[in-house]
Amino acid sequence: MPFFWNRREAELRNEFAHHLHHLRAEYERQGYSREEAERMARREFGAIARTEEQCRDERRWAWMTGLRQDIVYGVRMMRRTPAVTLAAVLSLALGIGANTAVVSLMDLVLWRDLPVPNPQQLTLVHWQGHGFPRDLTDGASGSMDKAGAWDVADFFSYAAYREMRRSAARLASVAAYSFADDVSITFAGRPMVAKAQPVSGNFLSTLEVRPQVGRLLSDSDDVSGAPAVVVLSHRFWAHVLGSDPSVVGRPITIDNELFVIAGVLEPAFYGLAPGDDTDLYTALHHAAFLHSRFQLGREIFENNRYWGLQLLARRASGVSAAHLLPAVDTAFRASWAQQPKNGATAPRIRLDEGRRGLDFLRDQFRNSLLVLGGLVTLLLAIACVNVANLLLARAVARSSELAMRISLGCSRARLLRQLLTESALLAVIGGALSIAVAWLTATLLGGFLAGDRTVPIGFILDARTTGIAAAVTISALMVFGLFPAWHSSRRLDASWLQQRAGSTGLLARRGWSSGQIFAVFQMALSVVLVMTAVIFTRNLMAIQSSDPGFDRRNLILFNVRPGTSGYDKARLTPFYFNLEQRLASVPGVSGVGLASMRPMNIGGWWQEVRLSGRQDHYPVSANGISPSYLDLYTRRLVAGRNFTRADEREKSTVAIISEDLARKLGGDRVLGRTIAMADGPPGAKLPEYEVIGIAPVIAATSIKERPYALWLPFWPAGAQEATVVLRTSAPPRAVLPGIQKAMSEIDRNLPMVDTMTMEEQISKGLQRERMFATLCNAFGTLALVLSVVGLYGVVSYGASRRRADIGVRLALGARPGNVIAMILRQGLAMAVPGVLLGVPVVWLGGKYLQKELTNMKPVDPTTLLLAPGILLLAAVLATLFPAVRASALDPAETLRQE
Amino acid sequence: MAKKADLLQGTLDLLILQTVGGGPIHGYGIAQRILVTSKELLQVQQGSLYPALHRLERKGLLKAEWRETGNGPMGKFYSLTAAGRTCLREEKEQWQRYAGAVAMVLDS
Repeated sequence: MPFFWNRREAELRNEFAHHLHHLRAEYERQGYSREEAERMARREFGAIARTEEQCRDERRWAWMTGLRQDIVYGVRMMRRTPAVTLAAVLSLALGIGANTAVVSLMDLVLWRDLPVPNPQQLTLVHWQGHGFPRDLTDGASGSMDKAGAWDVADFFSYAAYREMRRSAARLASVAAYSFADDVSITFAGRPMVAKAQPVSGNFLSTLEVRPQVGRLLSDSDDVSGAPAVVVLSHRFWAHVLGSDPSVVGRPITIDNELFVIAGVLEPAFYGLAPGDDTDLYTALHHAAFLHSRFQLGREIFENNRYWGLQLLARRASGVSAAHLLPAVDTAFRASWAQQPKNGATAPRIRLDEGRRGLDFLRDQFRNSLLVLGGLVTLLLAIACVNVANLLLARAVARSSELAMRISLGCSRARLLRQLLTESALLAVIGGALSIAVAWLTATLLGGFLAGDRTVPIGFILDARTTGIAAAVTISALMVFGLFPAWHSSRRLDASWLQQRAGSTGLLARRGWSSGQIFAVFQMALSVVLVMTAVIFTRNLMAIQSSDPGFDRRNLILFNVRPGTSGYDKARLTPFYFNLEQRLASVPGVSGVGLASMRPMNIGGWWQEVRLSGRQDHYPVSANGISPSYLDLYTRRLVAGRNFTRADEREKSTVAIISEDLARKLGGDRVLGRTIAMADGPPGAKLPEYEVIGIAPVIAATSIKERPYALWLPFWPAGAQEATVVLRTSAPPRAVLPGIQKAMSEIDRNLPMVDTMTMEEQISKGLQRERMFATLCNAFGTLALVLSVVGLYGVVSYGASRRRADIGVRLALGARPGNVIAMILRQGLAMAVPGVLLGVPVVWLGGKYLQKELTNMKPVDPTTLLLAPGILLLAAVLATLFPAVRASALDPAETLRQE
Repeated sequence: MAKKADLLQGTLDLLILQTVGGGPIHGYGIAQRILVTSKELLQVQQGSLYPALHRLERKGLLKAEWRETGNGPMGKFYSLTAAGRTCLREEKEQWQRYAGAVAMVLDS
């Protein structure tokens, strides 16, 4: 460019020099001296610099002035048809906004790197093998998943961590952590419950996270005997402690042990996965609950048969995963208690990509996000088609203007540019508005992702998100802008004036116009979205109204955690007995029960059981319950007896099983027989229970499933925490204050955790289904509105072009009813093929939808009738209005106009 | 005021197109020829002439090439493009209609 610019400048100077040369020659010819002639020439020419600048302006701003003209003209055109503009801008804003939100969320969950320096150096350390290595480990905490022929697991002993860290020190920094757990904390006299994650001293420095205030953990914090310190997540610091920097150095009680706040993490770090809701990070050696999880105490640091830590590593720069693998693998083997007999099937290390952190959210939400992504893409397509259709109709209305411009010498390219500028304007305004839409959608989506977890994922409106919005906008512009522009500029040639006569003439046009094809296409897309909405709404309704096997009204539940608030084993038993009695005496409370696992909270304590002497085993959801617990749900047992206080105190090995499990095991005859856990550490005696009762089937873990239930006696002395469930004889809200008062009388410092009614608990477990249904409904409604607007536009445009035709028919004696029927027929001629095209698409996508559904087929007769029914009804309504208007035409007037 | 300027600009463009229509000619030549053919009534200032030339060139109505002019420096010679010729014809017609109409009104 500089070269080009310089040449232009040189040319400009030369051109002026040439002019001056002639002027001077002229004056010289008139007899002036050379100097005088030079002076006069210059004077006559005037200010050279200014003229130069004016010439430059003519060039430099050429394209800009052109653009300005285009924009001014475009804005004027948009203002002339405000309804069209508004419809177009809104369509785009909604379409683009929904896409931006979903794509940002996909980005956050599926693609985004952890917000730490050089995330590509991070590696997740896993091992793969065949099944659980019983010869090497007695207990584990972590996850094990099938990956092809292998089982891939993420749990290691402390010895393995120590060994790997030592031997791979030159190649990588290896850090350990365990999953976060609820802890009871007291800060500044305020009791609350938070989520704490035990991490090795080098965990945060391995990730290279920086502190916002204070300092982070170091290796010297993670040794026994070191002062106990804790690092706070930024979210916890901001939301719970009000971003107070002076909290650093102050004491905080965690599970009854005294800690000092060392520092706060930087805000960008959200943990090892988006949606991570960890509040506190403590060193492994100070995580009391980590030890109690294995009921092992400090032993976890010495016993290499307990595999309960997860590992990650940051490779030194230049070190590949393949390079690191042998060192880690050797260290892993060296850490085992014994070498396995069969070396071929022994676990071996595998290093997985760690740049995006842990992938549980990715696995959990990939399908949901793909379905949502598909839906919003369809929505955007509908919006684009709508805008294209509107622009097309407007272009036709502007034909005479455009033809005039062409005949005045405006080039086709210039006209195309003008039309494209107009659609770009629409896209830019729509794109800007879309950010608001995106924000709203993402807030909804954040709740969706959080699901039954407690924290919403913040929507991050940053350069990346805005970039996504811009990309979506530009692709939308390509789709909806180019076609109408190309289409209308193509139509405009010299013969346009001749065509004009035909277009409003008496003959109905044959074949399909692009507008009509668009409308069919739109209908097809809409039917997909509406059907999806119907499917997910029905799914939600079916789940919500399904019978849990008990009366879900008038039940309250909350958790207590006395074990972490200073109660030792000796005090726990009287505490729980007293709690039950005291709460039972609260007015309005008709029953109280305790359970070791919270009901309806998804998941539970899963076991495989079998009848002694039989090999067939069954998965059960087990729970420890107090004697009065089952009475809260069901009037009486099917057979046998309930637990007693004595069972509780003595930790009797008795069990109550659900009726469906009893049926599997031989009906009533199972009473008095022994069932055993089918699985446990080798050599250890598997726990056995005498079946004393058979209970009716109730939904215990979630309203979505009915697993076989195994009820065991609640053992108060061993229960660090428990869920209290109360049945009330009055509305729960009215009884709750009395319960709270009673609780504070029992122990003022013991918080009631997650207090809610059973109905709230059930619906909390359905958040994902509800969000999905809400979003699909929103998308479906939008799609419906957009395509109805589209259809209405096409039909009323068609009707307005056939005014003369209709006028003649009316003049010849056609009744208004005939005209209405005729136009309705035309509308349906677009709607019906659209619907027929769309339904198979849903069928094809059924595989993806199925994964999001509980106990339901994606496409069943009801859905098949309902969704197309809604669309056809909407189509009839959209067509009816222009039809009635056309039928009310005054024939005389229309004919006069021709 | 703005209207008057537009009119002047349009008129200047027309005069330039007409003059260039006679064959390749440089800026000085255009100014001289307009002066001569208008019997010294219309003097085109260089300050308006050159921006106008560059504008017309940019619009694709004029094209230019550099040529030797015998003695002295190279000159930039302008000539009409096809579009320029069309434009000249239209503008001329329009101007004549306009001038005729004004004349009719003034003579009535």
